[in-house]
Amino acid sequence: MNQPVRPDVPPSPTPYAAPPHGVVGQSCGRLDGATKTTGAIKYGADLFWGRAELFVKVVRSEHAHAEVKSIITSEARAVDQVMGVYTHNDMPGTNLQGLILRDHEVLTSGRVRYMGDAIALVVAESEATARLGADAVQVEYEPLPVIDSIESALAKDAYPLYKAGNIMGGKRIRKGNVDEALAGAAVVVTESFETQSVDHAFLDLEAGVACYQDDLLTIEAPGQWVHEERRLIALALGLEPEHIRIIQPATGGAFGGREDISIQIYLGLAALKHPGKTIAMRLDRAESVRARHKRHAMRIEYTLGAKSDGSLTAAKVTVYSDEGAYASTGPAVMRKAASHATGPYRVPNVSVDVYGVHTNNNPTGAMRGFGACQMAIAYEGMMDRLAIKLEMDRFDLRIKNLIQSGDEVTTGQHIQVATAVECAEAAMGKFREVNGGLLVQPDEAHLRRGFGMSVICFGLGYGDGFPDCARARVAFDDAGKAVVYTGGVDVGQGLINMVAQVAADELGLQLDNVRVVAADTALTDESGSSSATRQTYFTGNAVKLAAEEVKEELLDIAGAHLQLHPHEIELTSGFARAIHVPGKEIAIKELVAQGKKRGYKLDQQAQFKPGTLCEDFDTGQSPRSFVTYLFGAHVSQVLVDIETGEVKVERHIACHDVGKAINPQAVRGQITGGVAQGIGMALMEEVISKKGRILNGNFTDYILPTIKDVPHVECIVLENTDPGGPFGARGVGEPPLIGAVPAVLGAIQDATGTAPNILPCTPERVWRMLQDGTNA
Amino acid sequence: MFYRPDTFAAALRLKADHAAAIKPISGGTDLVVGLNRGQSLGVDVLDLTAAKDYRRIDHADGSLILSGGTTFAQLEQLDIACLARAAASVGGPQIRNRGTIAGNLATASPAGDGSVALLALDAEVELAHADRGTRWLRLIDYFEDYRQTALGDDELISHVRIPTPSALQASAWYKIGKRGAVNISLVCAAAARFLDGRICLAFGSVAPIPMRAVQTEKLLQGQPLTGALLHQAAQAASAEVKPIDDWRASADYRKAMCAVLARRVLEQLQTDDERQMP
Ligand SMILES: Cc1cc2nc3c(=O)[nH]c(=O)nc-3n(C[C@H](O)[C@H](O)[C@H](O)COP(=O)(O)OP(=O)(O)OC[C@H]3O[C@@H](n4cnc5c(N)ncnc54)[C@H](O)[C@@H]3O)c2cc1C
Repeated sequence: MNQPVRPDVPPSPTPYAAPPHGVVGQSCGRLDGATKTTGAIKYGADLFWGRAELFVKVVRSEHAHAEVKSIITSEARAVDQVMGVYTHNDMPGTNLQGLILRDHEVLTSGRVRYMGDAIALVVAESEATARLGADAVQVEYEPLPVIDSIESALAKDAYPLYKAGNIMGGKRIRKGNVDEALAGAAVVVTESFETQSVDHAFLDLEAGVACYQDDLLTIEAPGQWVHEERRLIALALGLEPEHIRIIQPATGGAFGGREDISIQIYLGLAALKHPGKTIAMRLDRAESVRARHKRHAMRIEYTLGAKSDGSLTAAKVTVYSDEGAYASTGPAVMRKAASHATGPYRVPNVSVDVYGVHTNNNPTGAMRGFGACQMAIAYEGMMDRLAIKLEMDRFDLRIKNLIQSGDEVTTGQHIQVATAVECAEAAMGKFREVNGGLLVQPDEAHLRRGFGMSVICFGLGYGDGFPDCARARVAFDDAGKAVVYTGGVDVGQGLINMVAQVAADELGLQLDNVRVVAADTALTDESGSSSATRQTYFTGNAVKLAAEEVKEELLDIAGAHLQLHPHEIELTSGFARAIHVPGKEIAIKELVAQGKKRGYKLDQQAQFKPGTLCEDFDTGQSPRSFVTYLFGAHVSQVLVDIETGEVKVERHIACHDVGKAINPQAVRGQITGGVAQGIGMALMEEVISKKGRILNGNFTDYILPTIKDVPHVECIVLENTDPGGPFGARGVGEPPLIGAVPAVLGAIQDATGTAPNILPCTPERVWRMLQDGTNA
Repeated sequence: MFYRPDTFAAALRLKADHAAAIKPISGGTDLVVGLNRGQSLGVDVLDLTAAKDYRRIDHADGSLILSGGTTFAQLEQLDIACLARAAASVGGPQIRNRGTIAGNLATASPAGDGSVALLALDAEVELAHADRGTRWLRLIDYFEDYRQTALGDDELISHVRIPTPSALQASAWYKIGKRGAVNISLVCAAAARFLDGRICLAFGSVAPIPMRAVQTEKLLQGQPLTGALLHQAAQAASAEVKPIDDWRASADYRKAMCAVLARRVLEQLQTDDERQMP
């Protein structure tokens, strides 16, 4: 064939198009790494031990459900060194907390609904005396029936926990005609899944300090969204938000577990009652597990229909979600579960009903995956089952049904850059690098090896019409260093480096010429929560926009100095350089000094606020429910002892398309951690409770994976540019966990021939499943 | 008061004088857990770790004599499969560096891995008193009831005696837990076969005490370990243990696992000839 002759001319230069050319894409060490390593940086617990003058202890309910008849505090007040005992009567404000519905009393006035409910607050001169005081508070209860499971909440004669009953709310999706499609399907598979209650189990327990002085209440305690915390604390305590300052200390993990207010309002109340004193409070592990919200346990009933060639035709899904005693972020988790019910697959007919069910268990709220995690267990479990029924290869069945760029997900949103297939192929490709993907079965008859896979998608950001905005400020300080101000909190995931690297890259600076001021309501603007895998995309964009503004100023300053048009100048490695004239340059430090004299501000703010559209009430459809979607695929290989039920993960491959890895090492860290957490959820982690009382509220009995349970995670990082992300970046936080769980479960099915549907797959559950043919 | 004598004799004196009013501490890996949970000891503490020779392992005519303060890290190095492997399965490296055999026997948890391995080795424990001297007890007589032992208020565990590798033909160990390390046994089993033909079989977490499966052992005495016998023994072990249901595992599962583990550990004791037999 004749090729048209093309002269070998390079494309014309576009000097103002700026791909990352500096520190973005480099695995720069953590800016806070040295102080974290030496211990110089202060976590909440360091503040607790450092400056406290008075200590707070909370009296928590002894019953999962009861009417509080009386609270007698006189004996507690009489305890030596006890400085004050407070109840709901002493709350100056609304006394309400809760992220979406504000339905949860800070100090209970009438009814306790779970064993973490707080009844009174004791302030004393030492932690020990505060505890003695708390023990001396006498509470008289009239016990009420305890609803401890979804089943008992839905029972016909169930005690109604709220006036409206035990159903908190719901969410539905209607698309096409499911019943007709199922009736016409060549194959139909039905299964139900039970996922468990999971604790966030971050190592850095809740601890912090507060002080009320000069009409300002300052609270330093770890959260995930300082500005929202300020709003909620203000309402609960009857203050105006401008009289509250929230400062985030260094924080060791969150995973959604710090989204709900934890100790902040107690600290604030005590500080208001004892002005001028530094108040301290901390939870120990037992109290943290008892008091704090958990991941929703869900019952998922799933029916999937397909043509005989494997094309999916219909999905009918009903979900019951244990919301626990209060709403927390439950309404949003339900919505996210619904919009992720069919994952990355093309399904023309969909019907989803999600019901939130109140119980007297711990409230359930945000946790890494946020409803999408439970649904991935279900839809990937269904794909494995369907493949068996169709006698089709699991991988081929998935590839056949995965959405491609331009296709729509369950909510009807068309996905611009859908790289599910690429992720799946990359993960399988990696798996096949060993022995062509053929597993060698062990010699021992009781050991079986198998592998499983998952492909997942995840809508980034709050989405669904919820206002989602990030703000940032970039300025040069007097020493000539660039300072990034962001309201976003670094909970250990590396937000500080992310914003610093974005700003440094944009301004052509080395990382050590950037400093970050983060998560202090007095110094930074609202930038939304560190959740929903959103900070790189949202705050990264806001920082980039602010830095671009400063960059324009720098280029103007440099233009006059170098006698060039700004388009002919680039900022790189600390210098403004003439692009076409080698050697013509000026140090950015110099420019900053000059510019300040010449009246340039070099101090710019920006916000990033891409809108989303609320999903339709009746159909759940929305042309743009999320700003962008993330894709990932995992392959997991396990060894199962079919006599004892023990499962060992031998290999785990995780591929995620992050758009652009701002810091590749940090991305691999997130993926590895997510897989570890996913293995924990698949095999061992489970909050076990009976009648609302948690039985394993410590790390001896709440089983987290150890290094012996997690193999070296083989990370594949794909970088298909996101059209809207900073330098093309999307994010990475939640998807690694979401992908890990179903891949491990699929591997158990492959190894044993029996598919698990109850989590976690402890040795006993797997054994029982193999005895009965199901682990139900 | 916190006592830290530098000889074991001085420790024995203190224990004899204060009896229940003083609590010995070895590695602290059981005791400190309680303190961390806010339980107070309420009594004085007798730290044994400074006592000379509290960590020694000696050979004496056909036996190994382990001092009470022998750590799991030390036991891991021994050439006795069931004990070394049981020790290696305990906690994580930190716990194995601190935790001691005396502590394991004194705590007498039904899930005590060291205790189960020692039971299968038909070990003896030496209980010492400053004035009355010492007495040796077979471990099978030492564990009495849930966390109750023959150890007197005024005594200390001074030594444990086990047959040397030369008296042992083979031993084996298996533990089931929910994860790969820092793992409480859901069920564990140990077995040993001695040169005189005796076989001992012990289980953890299936009775109020670390238990020897004496009924099952009877089936095995003097018999070649054929496939058929192993099968029979597995059934017998499962019938003999008395596990309870708790949220860690059900009694059903534990019983079933005793059969599986009995067969596994006994298989490892088989000679090559026996392996060929049906
Ligand atoms: C994280 C963790 C993991 C663990 N994992 C395991 C495991 O996998 N398997 C397992 O079996 N155990 C495990 N344990 C329990 C513990 O480590 C063992 O029981 C260990 O053997 C206790 O020994 P110690 O020296 O630390 O005992 P200590 O805590 O010092 O003492 C325990 C008890 O023994 C008494 N005592 C100590 N020395 C003597 C003596 N010489 N004479 C008389 N009484 C004495 C003490 O007064 C106390 O009552 C674990 C513990 C922790 C904290």
